Order: sequence, then C-alpha cells, then structure tokens
Amino acid sequence: MRISYNWLKKYIDVKISPEELSNKLTNLGLEVESVENLGSQYTGFVVGEVVEVQKHPNADRLTVCRVKVERGKEPQQVVCGAPNVSKGQKVIVGLAGATIPKNQHDPNGKPFTLSKVSLRGVESNGMICSEYELGLGDDKSGIKVLDAHAKVGTSLAEYLGVNDTAFEIGITPNRPDCLSHIGIARDVAAAYKKKYARPVFKLRENKKLSIYKLAKVKVEDTHACPRYSARLIENVKVQESPSWLKNFLSAAGLRPINNIVDITNFVMLEYGQPLHAFDYDALAQHTIVVKNAKTGDRFTTLDGKDHQLDGTELMICDGKKAVALAGVMGGLNSEISRSTKSVLLECAYFSPVSIRKTAKKLGISTEASYRFERGTDPNIVIEASARAASLIAELSGGEVAGGCIDVYPKKISPKKISLRTERVNDILGTSISTKQISDLLNAIEIKTQKGKRKASFVCHVPTFRPDIEQEIDLIEEIARHYGYDNINNQIPGDVIFTLQDKKEAKINEIRNWFESNGFNEIMTNSLIDNSLAASFSDKTVKVRNPLTIELEVLRPSLLPTMLQSVSHNYNHGAAKLHFFEIGTVFSSADLTRPNPVNGYSEQNMLGICMSGDANQLSWNEKLRPIDLYDLKGVAQSLFTKLGLDNIHLICYDASKSLTESAIDIEINNTYVGFIGKCKKIVLEKFKIEKDVYFAEINLDLVTEFEVSRKFSEFSKFPTVIRDVAFLLRNEVTVQEIEDEIRKAGGKLITEVTVFDIFSGKALGEGQKSVAFSLKLNSGEKTLSEEEIEKIISNIVHAVQSTFGAVLRSI
Amino acid sequence: MSRGGELFIFYEKSMPMIDEKIVSIQSEIEKILPSISSKEMLENFRIEFLARKGKVASLYDDLKTVPSEQKPVYGQKVNALRKYTEEQFQLLKSRLDSTVSEKEEFLDRTLPGRMRPRGTRHPITQTMEEMKSIFISMGFGIVYGPEIEDDYHNFEALNFPPNHPARDMQDTFFIKDDVVLRTHTTPVQIRIMKHRKPPIRVIMPGRVYRNEAVSARSNYFFHQVDGLYVNEKVTFAELKGTLITFAKSFYGSSIKYRFRPSFFPFTEPSLEMDITCFLCSGKGCRICKHTGWLEVLGAGMVHPNVLRNCGYDPEKVSGYAFGMGVDRISLLRYGIDDIRTFFDNDIRFLNQF
Repeated sequence: MRISYNWLKKYIDVKISPEELSNKLTNLGLEVESVENLGSQYTGFVVGEVVEVQKHPNADRLTVCRVKVERGKEPQQVVCGAPNVSKGQKVIVGLAGATIPKNQHDPNGKPFTLSKVSLRGVESNGMICSEYELGLGDDKSGIKVLDAHAKVGTSLAEYLGVNDTAFEIGITPNRPDCLSHIGIARDVAAAYKKKYARPVFKLRENKKLSIYKLAKVKVEDTHACPRYSARLIENVKVQESPSWLKNFLSAAGLRPINNIVDITNFVMLEYGQPLHAFDYDALAQHTIVVKNAKTGDRFTTLDGKDHQLDGTELMICDGKKAVALAGVMGGLNSEISRSTKSVLLECAYFSPVSIRKTAKKLGISTEASYRFERGTDPNIVIEASARAASLIAELSGGEVAGGCIDVYPKKISPKKISLRTERVNDILGTSISTKQISDLLNAIEIKTQKGKRKASFVCHVPTFRPDIEQEIDLIEEIARHYGYDNINNQIPGDVIFTLQDKKEAKINEIRNWFESNGFNEIMTNSLIDNSLAASFSDKTVKVRNPLTIELEVLRPSLLPTMLQSVSHNYNHGAAKLHFFEIGTVFSSADLTRPNPVNGYSEQNMLGICMSGDANQLSWNEKLRPIDLYDLKGVAQSLFTKLGLDNIHLICYDASKSLTESAIDIEINNTYVGFIGKCKKIVLEKFKIEKDVYFAEINLDLVTEFEVSRKFSEFSKFPTVIRDVAFLLRNEVTVQEIEDEIRKAGGKLITEVTVFDIFSGKALGEGQKSVAFSLKLNSGEKTLSEEEIEKIISNIVHAVQSTFGAVLRSI
Repeated sequence: MSRGGELFIFYEKSMPMIDEKIVSIQSEIEKILPSISSKEMLENFRIEFLARKGKVASLYDDLKTVPSEQKPVYGQKVNALRKYTEEQFQLLKSRLDSTVSEKEEFLDRTLPGRMRPRGTRHPITQTMEEMKSIFISMGFGIVYGPEIEDDYHNFEALNFPPNHPARDMQDTFFIKDDVVLRTHTTPVQIRIMKHRKPPIRVIMPGRVYRNEAVSARSNYFFHQVDGLYVNEKVTFAELKGTLITFAKSFYGSSIKYRFRPSFFPFTEPSLEMDITCFLCSGKGCRICKHTGWLEVLGAGMVHPNVLRNCGYDPEKVSGYAFGMGVDRISLLRYGIDDIRTFFDNDIRFLNQF
C-alpha cells in the first residue's frame, strides 16, 4: 500500500515530519518498506519573473534576461534562446546544479546538469525552461509561460503540487482497515492521542430523478454479496481529472485515467472501499443482477482478457449479460468511455472467500479484489458511495439522481468480545491498568463497556476490523498501542531440563569426521528432473505446480544433485572433489517406519561423492586418481569412528541402476546403504568425464544403533608376525582367502593384513600373487616356535587345497 | 686435525731392520693423517696400512726375522703402532662420517610441510549449528519434522483458514490437494505439542519450500529454525527477553534491535525483530533497502486457536514461538551477494569457510 504524506495530512492534524511518521507507522506494525521523496527530480527549479529582456550583444537569436527568482533579492542574469520570452512573464528557471530531465538539443533527450556558464561572452546563471525540457509535455517551441498568479520563488515541485512523500507500507493480511488513507490516519491519530478528521462533503441530489425508477438491483446470492448499493449520476462529462486529483493518485501509485474512474480510485484509497462505475446506457434494462456465472460462460474483462468461467464466480449482470466479475474487474462491455453520459455507481460488500476464490482461480489480482478478499467494511458502503457521487457531480458536471438503492438484507453489526485486564497482563507480562486498557481501545474506535466481572469489559469491535475475533486479538491491539518497547524484557525464570537427542551428537560427529578428513560439505537442492528421478525409483514424489520442469520431483537419492555439483566444479577447473552431504530423500513407498504423512516417506541420508584426484599435488607424493578402495576406506573408517563394528560389506553381482561395482553395507544385519562407481551413462547426463565414486548411507538407521564402548583386556604375551604369499587365480577374492586363513588359524590369528598384490607375465596368465601379514597371539602364553609352525602350515595347506594356490614364500 | 694419542718410541744403538721400518711407517702415517679429508682417502689409508697385506700388517712378517730375545720388545712396538694406527683410523672415520652427513643431507626447510587434509562444513550448517548451540544453552531441545507435510499441520492447525489471504504470504508447492512441501518449520510445533505435554521448550530446524521465482535474493527452498516454549504463564515479556538474549549471543552484545508489531496467523500478538544493519551500521545501504534495519526473525505468543488445536487449554497454558531464516542470515553475515552461491557448491567458495 502506497500512502501519500500530503493526502494523509488532510485527516490528521499532527505536526510530524515524514521521517517521524515513517518510524511511527513501523512501530504500529505498519512497516514502512521504503520512502520516496516525490518531486525531487525538480530540485533547483523555481518560479521566476522576467523583469528585463535585452538583445544579446554577440548573438542574434539570444536574449539576455534578468529574472527574479527569490523575493527581496536581486534578479539573476539568464541568457535565453527562446523566441517567446518577454518582460513580465512568470517562467520556470533552472538554477546551477539543477538537472534538466530532457535536453531538447540532444537527439535522445538525455538529461544534463546546469552550471554557471558564459554564452558568447555573457554570463548566464541558469536556464528558462520549456515544457519538453521539464518532462511536462512535448512543446519544444519556446519557454513555458505560467499564469500570472504563480508566486516568485516557489519551487517547481510545489507549484506543480507534486511536492510530496510517498510511503510504501507492507500491510499484513490482518489489517484491511489500513488499506486506505483514513484507516492509516486512524491508527496514527490514536498513537498521538488525537482525533482524525473524516472528509467533509455535501451530496446534492436531483430529486426529480429517482434511482428507484431508473434502475433495478437484484441480488440472488446474498451470501457472496451481503450488501449491494447503486447510485446514478446523469449528464456526466468524462474528461481529464483536475491536477490535485491526478497528483494524489500518482503519489499513491495509481495512473490517472479519466475523472470518473479516477474518482472511484480516489474514494477507494480514501476509505478502502472499492467502487465500480458502469456506463448506465450499456446496461440492458438498466438492471443489475448479482448471481453466479454459468459453467462454460466466457467473460472479457476490461483489460481485454477473455476468461473461461466454471460457474463458481460471482458475476454482476445486467438484464441480459454479465458486465463485471464481482469485486474483481469490470467488463469491457460496460466500461466508462469518453461518450458515457450516465454512470451507475456500484458500491458493495462481497464475501472475502468468494472474491478470493475467483481472483485466485482466474489469476487476477486488482486493487479491488485485494481489498475485498481481505475484508472491507460493510457499513462504510453508503458513505463511500455518497462521497464518490458528490465528487463526480463536482468534477464532471453530472446530476446525482435522488436516492440510493441499497440491498442489505441482513445487517452486519459490530462484534461483542469480552476482555479481562488480568488476562491482558498475564499474556503480556505487564501491569497495564483497566483504565489504560479502555483508553487504548477507545482511541482506535473500539468501544468498551464494563463487564459483569471485576476488571473486565465487553468490547464493541467496529466492522472495519474483521481481524478482531477474540480476546487475544484485543490484547494484541493493546500491546500495539501500548508500545512493544514499553513491555519489559524478561528472561524465563524457570529451569527446564530438556533431553538432548543422541542422534544430534552422532550427526555432529559424522560432520567432524568428514571435515577433518578433507571433505567439503555441500548442500544441494531437493527437486530434480522427472526423467532423472525415474531412473532411480518408480516411487517418486511429484510436485503438482513446479517452478520448472527441471524442478518437478523430490529427489529419491542425493546422487543426482551431488553430481550437479561435481559437474559445476569440473566446469570451473577443479581437480579433486571429495564431497559429503546430509539431506533428505523422498519416496512415495511406505517404508518400514510410521510416516508422518500417509503415503510418503522421508529418510535422512549421508551422501559421499569422490572424484578426480585422490590426493593433493605435492613434492613427495604422486597424484593418483580416486578409486573404489578410497571410498570403501572412507566408509569403513567412518563406521569405526562411530563405534560400529558388526559391519558386512556385500559385493553383489547385480549393480544398482546407476552405479556399478556396487557394495551393499549391512550393519547388525540391516541394510543401511551402498558404495559404488557411477555408470558412464549417468555421468554423461551431467557431462562429467572422470570417474565418480558414490556412497549413500541411511543416517536414520546408522544413528539409531546402540553403541557401547567397553574396554577389553589385551594380551600380555608377545605377538608373533609371519608373512605368507600365495599364487592364485585372479578371481579368488582377498575376502575369501582371509576367511580361509582365519578359519584355519583359529582364534590365535588376531590380525590379517594384505600388504602386497601383483600380477604379471612372470606369474602366468590369470594369476596373481597376494601377500598377507599375519599376527598371532594366544592371550594365554608365549607361542612356541613349533606351535607357530603348525598354525602357519595349517593355513598354507588350507589355502592351497581350497583355492589351488601355490605358496610363494613364507 | 689434532692427534688422538701419543706414541713413545725408544731408539736403541743397534737397531735391526725392523726398527727402522717401524720408524719410517710411523712417520709416513703421521705425515699422511692430516691430509685425509674424505672417506675415499681414509679407505685408501686403511688399505695401505691396516689391510691384511697393508704396511702395518707386514711388520708382523718382519717380526719373524727378529732374534727371539728381542721379539717381546719389537712385538710391543709393532702392536703399539697397529693400535695407534687403528685408533687414528677410527677417530678419523667417525669425524668424517659426521661432517660428511651434514654436507650430504642438506635439509631444505623451505619445502612445504606434508599437509593433513582440511575439509569444510557448509556455511549454512555453520550458521545453523551456532544457532542450535545458543538455544541448547538456553534449555531448548531439538526436534525435527517431515518436509512433505499435510495441509492440516502446515496451515489449518496453525490457524490459516482455508481461502484466507494469509496463505498468500507463503506460495506453496502442492503434491496433492491436501499435501504440500512445508512452507515453514512451524508445523513441527503442532506435531510436538500433540506428542508431548507442557512444559515444552524446543527448536525445530529444517528445510522449507516456497513456490517463488529463483533470484539472487530468494530461492525456492531455504532453511529455518523455529522455536517453541509452552508452559504455565509464559509471557510476551519473556519472549522479548529470550529473543534479545539470542540476538546478543549470535550477533554480538553491542547490537541495537527493535520490535515491530506484525502478523502471523499462528501467533497473537505477533512481532518482527530487526537489528541494526551490520553492513552500514544503520546508515542505510542497498542490503537494508536504505532503512538501516535488517529483519532477522518473526515471533509471537502462540495463538489460543493453535493451543486448542493441540488439545491444550489456553486458559491454563500459554506459549511463545519464533522463527528465523538461516540462509538469509548466512548471506548477510558472510557478505554473499547471491543466495544461489550456497548451492552451486563451488569448492573455491566452500574452502573459504
């Protein structure tokens, strides 16, 4: 809502500067979002009087003028090139420092700033301006000559009546009463403990004309339209509005159109009551019928747009056809035009819900619908209509027909709400007196009446405050006008111990681990392209009204958006990408746990994404690319850090749809996630050329496992280390061999570490050498050489016989 | 180079051949020793004198020719020479070893150290964690709720009537007619109030969604931290006190703040808190839209309708609630121009945090 300072001052007699008013409004909850000094483009231009005109000594076309620009001061010398300049004229003078909005000697009319200059040897202290130069019109032929009444020294902004300040106020949806200058004046006046003035006007009606004979109104849906009033003004002359009206509208951000439309807008901005003017002669049978549209009807609004209606819209119709979308926009067919002779003025109260539904469905938001859907005052209708009619009569020469049709079958009365002083202070933590409370409420026209109980009231809430419905709403009004700053700041005195969730600490531990191991945490968006999502899951969740098709489906995995970040970084020259993300993934499958919203499940996932170099380029280490074992090691180290030990990494033949060489992770026999290498076909979609390794782990599960850290006794006897190397077929996995070693070695084997793997022609096709370092310890005694030999020999035999391995060395 | 030991040689009148030889080898050694300056020279010295066929060893062959009564005397002399030579050799060897190692293993201390990996937390996580820790210190617990939310929890229970313009304050992504992507973390308040009994004092961090065009200043998703305190006789004055304590801990104890009346359907009375723009110190700049103030949070007393919707009696308990946007605050405190920078995840950006 844009408010004009000058306009507002018509209703409040308080001396306040625009700055002070701005703060006041904000403190009242009418947040001033911006302040604009109107007319500031005219700084440096004043009304002057030409007191002397002489020929320029060195130029035929120039004259040397002396212009009085300030009362009681010497006239200024100004060189002028206009043919029409003459002594005695009142003109507009731009002084040094002023910026001419349009240079008429520049082909593009670019602005320029004036300074004292010497023109062909004669000093000039300013410039007498043309209409074009000031941006006030198209006339370039000569200087603009003002009427003789213009006062010397008046600033141009003041002369034009545009010296004003406009406030852009963010009106919250609960304050429809403040969508008008009067409404804001009411709140401001209350804050200064003053009364505000309502507009004074006299409506002259021509009793010979009776609206009751000239027009008919029928309201079929009194629920959607509880009140409808109409007045008739005949013999109007549709023309341009006077400048005061245009200036007010412009300051408030509306474009002047013609006097009739401008008046309806003016009254709307004054009272907050939207009005609509119909061309009376365009209304069939001079009748208004308020009823619902029929399914399939079409209607063209006055902005020229055609709308398909579904039958729920409330329409204003004449005897034959629809003429307006009630409360939203008029029709092209009954618009006021230059040829309009008589005006039927609609002033009504529509149900907020009905207007909002229509406006929302048709995607139209107008000044009228904005106000109706927030709730206008049903009891201001007649006054607003009279105000508009009197202005139309005044500014268009029209005659107002006697009477006003007012269909208002069920009067809407002020609400009565009871209020307790104790409750006010209990909620606010204040000690405001009963008297103070009634004063504060009365100042904003809420009448208070003593209640039955002690220190209680019955409050009569005027109909312009539809937001006030119960006691708490009155308490807010009291707090607002008492001043939030006047309420103490207290620290809650009680102590509440709140249990902190272990999960929170575990997630923190995970972040710490990644941070200290060189990973960047990333945060990616949650919505992705449908085709991409579909390759993960057929149980995706789609948004019905997406911003774009690329943001249509909630991510079923962190992979796609993490790949977007990988791609972005490769495009910007990065070489080493070690990423992790903690975020939600979505599914329409009913997963095991109870879902807060039926039919949808969400899981908190940890995504790990590694690509490019495994290490940093340095003087003592060769760069090498990331491989699967880097990522596997990350997962294993992380789980160890978290104290999880019952972990199974299962290598499946069947790969996940988007990764290959997948390894599934089970903890305590529960599947928690996987590790894999992204398929080329996936990477191509993101234009990534390097390999990307990805793991996704369900944190809801991982953080839920009980971890108990207990000390276990370690052996007092020496550990023996023995190395063995086998020659085997390539397909035999290290895991299989290790299992065999542990089986054959029994509990004396405390650690099995692979320390060397290689293959080569010397070993023969399809063969590899795997070397293990074994640690042996009995925990009960020092192992003898014979015992050790026996265990090693058992192990060697077992591996040889199970895998056909050849012992390379011991 | 100084000598390690001294050698006394007794000269006699009738010196056999061996005597002469001992003296000559002795003087040869004494002459050569000062000139030995490398391991290579030392090795040559060893070969010449100490090796099995070296000059000192050859004296033992000569000893065989000495008459037996003089053998003990010359034997001692030869032994003494051998001992002396070996001692000198060892001494030189250890000296050469130490000097040579200093020269050969020159340490370039300007080489960069072997760096340990350094990772980063996302700046939004950092802001969020800071907020959490302040609220934890004030006795708040942390609870979470779903991002896919039903209309009841996101709107209805929070006192947004159907077809009310207040719903326009939050452009909504719909999944179904009555299922949405939550537009705020406030629905978690309903879930927690229905799940627990007062006193409740929790914060609710998480991601929220708004169907708004993406620009430098706004994104279609962002993060919020909501807070809720419900107990007997919770007051607006306590809400103010809590918010000031938070703001001073988070933004610094010297900040200036103001409270403005505002509107949220689920709180009454409602407020918004502004702090002095920390980019222009309140003078007015592009970031604060020339107002000198930055809006940092919204809050209010829990609306009685909301308490009733959760089965509480507003006459018996009251509460306050607040909410703040994490992304916007992160944007301001780190001086970032474009909110989208957070989600590009450019490592040149991430490595700055």
